[in-house]
Amino acid sequence: MPGILDGIRVFDLSIAAVGPWASKLLGELGADVIKVESPGGELSHVIPPPIKGTAVLYISANFNKRNIVLDLKEEGDRAIALKLVEKSDVFVQNMRPGAVERLGLGYDVVSQLNPRLVYVSASAYGRTGAMAKEAGIDPTVQAFGGWCSITGAPGSQGEMFRHLAHLDITTSTMIVEAVLQALLARERSGKGQHIEIDMISAAMSLQTSRLAEYFATGEQPQPMGSAAATTVPHQAFVCEDQEYLAVGVVSEDQWPRFCRAIGQETLCDDPRFATNPKRVENRSALVALLEDHFKTKPTRWWSLRLTQAGVPNTRVERTVNFQTLRADPQVTRNQHIVDLETPHWGTLSVDGLPWKFEKNPAGPIRPGGLQGEQTEEVLREFGIAAETPERNGRDKRLES
Amino acid sequence: MPGALDGFTIIDFTQGLCGPFASMRLADAGAEVIKIEPLGGDTARTMGPPFIQDESAVFLSLNRNKKSVALDVTTQDGRKIARQLIDRADVVLEDFGPGRAEKLGLGYADLSQTHETLVYCAISAFGEEGPLRDQPGAELVVQAMADYTHSLGKIGEAPVRLGTDVASLNTGIMASQAITAGLFHRVRKGEGQRVTVSMLGTLLHMRGIMWTSMTDPDEWYGFHLDHYTRPPDEGYKTKDGHVYFGLRRGSSEDWDRLMLTLGLTDYITDPRFQGFGREATSIGRYAPEVKPIWERAFQQLTNAEVVKLVHEFHGDAVPFNDYPTLCAHPQVAELDILKDVDHPAGESFRTIGPVWNLADTPAEIKSPPPTLGQHTDEVLSGLGMNATDLQRLRTARVIS
Repeated sequence: MPGILDGIRVFDLSIAAVGPWASKLLGELGADVIKVESPGGELSHVIPPPIKGTAVLYISANFNKRNIVLDLKEEGDRAIALKLVEKSDVFVQNMRPGAVERLGLGYDVVSQLNPRLVYVSASAYGRTGAMAKEAGIDPTVQAFGGWCSITGAPGSQGEMFRHLAHLDITTSTMIVEAVLQALLARERSGKGQHIEIDMISAAMSLQTSRLAEYFATGEQPQPMGSAAATTVPHQAFVCEDQEYLAVGVVSEDQWPRFCRAIGQETLCDDPRFATNPKRVENRSALVALLEDHFKTKPTRWWSLRLTQAGVPNTRVERTVNFQTLRADPQVTRNQHIVDLETPHWGTLSVDGLPWKFEKNPAGPIRPGGLQGEQTEEVLREFGIAAETPERNGRDKRLES
Repeated sequence: MPGALDGFTIIDFTQGLCGPFASMRLADAGAEVIKIEPLGGDTARTMGPPFIQDESAVFLSLNRNKKSVALDVTTQDGRKIARQLIDRADVVLEDFGPGRAEKLGLGYADLSQTHETLVYCAISAFGEEGPLRDQPGAELVVQAMADYTHSLGKIGEAPVRLGTDVASLNTGIMASQAITAGLFHRVRKGEGQRVTVSMLGTLLHMRGIMWTSMTDPDEWYGFHLDHYTRPPDEGYKTKDGHVYFGLRRGSSEDWDRLMLTLGLTDYITDPRFQGFGREATSIGRYAPEVKPIWERAFQQLTNAEVVKLVHEFHGDAVPFNDYPTLCAHPQVAELDILKDVDHPAGESFRTIGPVWNLADTPAEIKSPPPTLGQHTDEVLSGLGMNATDLQRLRTARVIS
C-alpha cells in the first residue's frame, strides 16, 4: 500500500533542523519531498560531527527526500523554482522573516501561482516584535523559553538539555500537525493556506502541563532532580547497590500495588498518603521513608517486584551504552531505532518511524542524497534541461 | 471560520497527559472531542496540588474544548453505549495498553466490523511488541529508558529528568499527527485504519541525531556526542543571571572591539577563539573549555548588557528566562500564546493556547475544560436515551 501522503509533493526550502525534520516526516508519510539548497549549501553542513564527510544533522534531518541545488538569486533558477512550486502541494521554509520574500518566493507571490499550496513559515521568535529577526537555535530557545528553569538538581539554577535538538524537532512535529490539518482542510475547500509557527510557542506548548503549575500558583516551579511535581512517588531512588531505580506511581490503582510490592502494606492505610494529592502534600515524609526503604535491597530486587505488580519502573543506567540500547529487544522489536543502509555513509543507526499505520505503513526510511545529488533527475521530470555546463559546475557538493 | 477538523468527532478514552494533550490539539483544530472518563474520573484530575477551585491545574491545561461523559466501559451497558458513540464518530483514541481494548470489546477489529472508515489510534508506553509491551509507563521511566537522563545532571550524582513532560506531550503530538493523517487518507480514499504511537518510540525518534552520530562519526567532538562527559550547562553567568550566546558572523574590527570591550584582548590570537569566537561559544568545540574566560568578563555586566553587546557584534544572545520573566516578556506578548480560559466553576484561568496559526482554518478555544460527566446526559440524549434510561444507568453505576 502507498503511504498516506502518496501523490503529495513538498517543496522544501528549509534549513538546519526545524524545517528539514518536518519535511522528512512528511516524506516518511509518503510525500515526494524535494529539498532545495543554494549552491553554498544550507547551514547544517558545518555542524559537527560528520560521518564520511557529511554532517550527521544533514544526514539525519533529510531522509526520504531528493536533493537539488538552485541558485535562487539567479533569474533562471528562480523560474525553475516557480515551476516546481506550481506543481507542489506543500512549501516549507524557515528562513528569517523577510528572507524568502526577498527571493521572490513569499506566500503572496506563490499562492497567486498555486492557490492550492499549503505554505509553512517557521520562525524562532515569531514574525513580529523586537526579536523577530533574531536567529534562534535549539539552545537559545531552551534558554529563552523557560525550559531550563524547571530542570536540574534540587536547588540548582536550572540546566540545559545537552542533546541540542529536542525543541527543534518538537517544532518540526508541530509543523507536521499543521500541514496535515491544512491538507485535510484543502480536501474540503480546494484551497491551500499560510501556516505560521514559531519555536518559542512550540516550546511553551510542550511545557503546557508545567506552565499550568506556574499560572495556578504564581510561583516558579523549581528544578526537582528526577522527581515529578504533581505525582508522588514519581522519582528515582538509590538502592543498596548504589544504583538508581526510577519509579512512577501515576494512577491511584498503582498505589496499593506499589506498597504491597515493596513490602510496606501499612503505607496503603496511612491517611497521609491515601490519595495522590495527599502524597504530593506530604511528599517529604513519604520520600524520606521510601529513600530509607529502597536502600535495603538492590535495584534488581525492587525492579522485579514492581514489574510483577505492574508498577512503572526502570533502572537508570549510569554508564552509557548505546550498543546495548540499540540492541535492546524492546527497541528492536518495535523498530524504535533501526539500521539504515546508505550509499554514502555505510550502515547507520537511525530513528525509527514514530507512527505505525496498519494499512498505509509509513516509510520505508530511505537515506537522502548529497547536496544536489538529484538535481538532474528532478529537473528532467519537470521537463527542464539540466545539463548546462554552468549548472553542473554549481552542483558540486560543499567541501567542508 | 471553521477549524481544519471541523465536523469530525473523536471518542477519546485516554487519561493523564499524553492522550488528552493529543485530543486537545485536535479539539483546538475544530474536532468535537467526547472524553469518556471512568466514573472516578481521568487520573489527571488528581494530579496536584496545585488545584484551581478544586480542579487540577494540570488537568485544566489539557482538556479545554472537550465534552466529558462519565461511563464505565467495563460494564456490559457501558461498552454498548461506547460502541454506539463510536459508530457515530470518526476517530477513537485510546491508551488502555496493548491488548486491553480488545478485552473490553473496543478493539479495532471489533469496531471496524460496524464502522469501516473508523480511524483508530492506540497509544502505548513502550510499543505493542517486545518484552515490555504489557508494562505501564510513567514519564520518568520512559525518559530514563530513552537515555534522556544522560544528557542532564552530573556524572556520579542523582539522575535528573527533563522537567518538561516530554514522554507524554511529545507523544501526544505524534498521536495528533497520526489521527489527522488517518482522516486525510479516509477523506481521499474512503478507508479507515488503526495507527499506533508509543512514548518510548517517540522519545527515541526525537533523539535520532544522537543514534546516527554514535554509529560511526569521523571525529569525537561536537555537540551531539559529548553530553555524557560534560557537566550541567547553566549558560554563562552574568551579574544578574545567565545568558546563552553564540558568535558566528561579524567582521574583524567588530571582533577586536568586542574583545577590547570585554577586556579579553589577550585571547584575540588564542587559537581556541579563532574564527571570531565561533568555536569558543554556543555549540563550538572549545566552548566548554573557555567558558570561565567569558564568565570572568561577564561578571560586571547584566544579562541585558551582554545581550546588547553580542547583538552589536551580530551574534545571538538571549537571557535564561524562568516562567515569570518568560511570560512577562514583550516578545511572548507578540506571539499571542497566553490565553485566559473560563474555568468550569466560574473564574478564568491562564493557559497555553494553540501553537499554530492557520490563516484560513484557525484553531480556537471555544469551551472550558469539562467537569467530570458534565456532558453525560447531553451526549447520551443524542443517542436517543430518555430521562428514565439515564436514571436506570446512573443507578446501575454505568454512568455518572
